[in-house]
Amino acid sequence: MKSSILRAGVVALACTLGLSACGGGSGDLNLTGYVYNVTKDGLVLQNNGGDDTKVVAPYTSFQFGSRLSNDDSFNITVKEVPSNVASVSDCVVANGKARANYYTIGQISVSCKIRQRALKVNVNNLTTSGLVIVNGADRKDVPVGTTTVQMQGVNEDGPYGVTVLTQPTGQTCTVSGGGNGNGSGTMGATEDTTVTVTCA
Amino acid sequence: MKFSLARTALALAATLTLASCGGGSGKATYPVHVTVSNLLYEGLILTTNGMDVTVKPPATAGTSVNLTFPNELDYGQVYNVVPKGGDLSTSPVVYGTQPLHQTCLPNTNYPDNLPHTATAGQLATIQVNYVCALNAYPLLGTVKGLTGTGLQLANGSSAQVDVTPLTDTAGKPTGADTAFSLGKVYWNQTYGVTVLTQPKGQTCTVTAGGDNGKGAGTMKDTNKTDSYNSPGVTDIVVTCVASS
Repeated sequence: MKSSILRAGVVALACTLGLSACGGGSGDLNLTGYVYNVTKDGLVLQNNGGDDTKVVAPYTSFQFGSRLSNDDSFNITVKEVPSNVASVSDCVVANGKARANYYTIGQISVSCKIRQRALKVNVNNLTTSGLVIVNGADRKDVPVGTTTVQMQGVNEDGPYGVTVLTQPTGQTCTVSGGGNGNGSGTMGATEDTTVTVTCA
Repeated sequence: MKFSLARTALALAATLTLASCGGGSGKATYPVHVTVSNLLYEGLILTTNGMDVTVKPPATAGTSVNLTFPNELDYGQVYNVVPKGGDLSTSPVVYGTQPLHQTCLPNTNYPDNLPHTATAGQLATIQVNYVCALNAYPLLGTVKGLTGTGLQLANGSSAQVDVTPLTDTAGKPTGADTAFSLGKVYWNQTYGVTVLTQPKGQTCTVTAGGDNGKGAGTMKDTNKTDSYNSPGVTDIVVTCVASS
């Protein structure tokens, strides 16, 4: 608590000094925030309808070009989204509208929802029980006679890799297909993906 | 900032209140209340001022557990509610006696971020809030024979990593074993390491490790009250050979 008071004091003092030094021009509060769930170029943010700012690699934070003075109003909105986000409304700004001070400019974040694509597994010749397939943390038990398994959706432009966790009794199943032929790949932007599990 | 002002005001109020009762009859005592949220498994023991309380998970998962330490504290006594044997004032933190598969720490989210250590009487009532989270453990392995650039490994859609070959002082690839990390996997969650992109001129396959010897398995731990120390999976092997 003491340190926060001290910090606030130092910042306030720095503000005062800074402002008096530059004659009340652009302030010295950087308008920044965290970014979540962005994997590629294309996210453009605006403050008060201008000052367009691109979010660049590694896509974890943003900083507007113009600085703010204490008590300036800011209102951060999403102008454009990356190609793997369906619409501007899928990127949500949290705490993006307030008056600038040391506290409010430290609370901002932008979180996007990446478009999901279907990952389907075709199963051939499964005649016994016990088969379990996984795509990372997504686990599916596959009963006898199953011909297709719908896995959880995968981020567009994101990786996938289906493997056999447990072989069925008396059979050996191998994975093929997908972008790389071995059941793995990068999820495409235009179509859903099918991986094949063949048991013998 | 406001919060700290409020605390000062509270402390002042407390002082005034005490002053007004003129230190007459019975001294005020302070029960230590604790709320634990997201607790799923057994094993957590919380302690303060020489008292231990074993915290059982709630009958309905997702509800919070409320408990009060057996003895109340006198005004001015310092409390420090921590998992037994733990020390949250050091860096790194000593986690102490935790539940299986989980780690519980004082809640840091406003408005539940009340201090786990303070002086009785500093606040009107003593309330400590703990929140528990499932442990995640490392998913690690080794690439053998890697000389080409561009290898990407993935754990399904959960994580991916680029692996570059080790080089000698002249910048030539040595083919020496190269370690990789695919981040952490939550306890009891599955993983399956695959080759997402082959390196230039080579073909790599997952040849060992995990529960099935082929890079897939279910994350396990030591199943003890210090399961946060579990090593995770370290034995994944990816072997690369020249493409035919």
